[in-house]
Amino acid sequence: MPSGGPWRRREPGPVVRPYAVTGGRTEPADGERLDLIAIVVATGQPAGAGDRLRLTPEHRRILTVCENQVTVADLGADLGLPVGVIRVLLADLIAQGAVAVVPKRPASERSGNDVLREILNGLRAL
Amino acid sequence: MGSAHSDSPAALFIAQKILIAGGFGSGKTTLVGAISEVRPLRTEEVLTTASIGLDDLAGVASKKTTTVALDFGRITLGQSLSLYLFGLPGQERFSFMWDELSYGALGAVVLADVRRLGDCFASVNYFETRRLPFIVAINCFDGAPRYDAQEVRVALDLAPDVPVTLCDARDVASVKQVLIALVQAISASRARSSRT
Repeated sequence: MPSGGPWRRREPGPVVRPYAVTGGRTEPADGERLDLIAIVVATGQPAGAGDRLRLTPEHRRILTVCENQVTVADLGADLGLPVGVIRVLLADLIAQGAVAVVPKRPASERSGNDVLREILNGLRAL
Repeated sequence: MGSAHSDSPAALFIAQKILIAGGFGSGKTTLVGAISEVRPLRTEEVLTTASIGLDDLAGVASKKTTTVALDFGRITLGQSLSLYLFGLPGQERFSFMWDELSYGALGAVVLADVRRLGDCFASVNYFETRRLPFIVAINCFDGAPRYDAQEVRVALDLAPDVPVTLCDARDVASVKQVLIALVQAISASRARSSRT
């Protein structure tokens, strides 16, 4: 122990380095970077069938949070994991069919202007 | 939904994204915190060539990623609509993240500190080049000299259709007005581009 007191970082981070939970992978297996506000949801299909992928505790936590539709950014905040890590783990689960990306609502359903008006009304009502 | 894929789930809510930009210390974190539920969000970014020579990697040649804390807030506007605020990391060495963060964004607020107006040039240039609708909000810090919006508009050489507004990033009512002004600017910008 150095004489200058306990050896401590200003802001103690997680004990495990972020990409340790992805097995060192920094890019999603399918190479696709999910947008921060892309919405994902668990499909209810069992993951890890055929044991192609051993689910880590982090995979399981993602599956639990994804029982309700959730954005990639919210997942990162909920789990306390960096977005890059979330993307890698999500890609695993998507490849297994356990998680699906929710398609954006078709433009015809609610036009961009309707959404803007809704945002405006919502902000005014805050 | 009438989707061809019966197995693809229908979105239960719409998520929209607004960016909060501006120089280091311009009040982005304060603004996001004033109006939204904020939660810590980290991105562990893979270092790209963009950071070569900027992030000092001497002695840590094996370091491939850098952790960036993002200002991240969510405003729930009714049951099926959520507005997400993302702060763009102000330091230029993080500008490699701007493309990703701005992808699909509705528009941006550029926070300006009149004592260091030059700090927001990079954001203004970026949104002008990307043709992303934005407004400039002058954060009125205590003790900072007061300039009116017109003086700031001239100093930043802004196009006439870019609104400039004064705000207090600590005050929820003020921040609300800033976001309303932005959404109105986005509507106006879309109306203009649909005419041409």
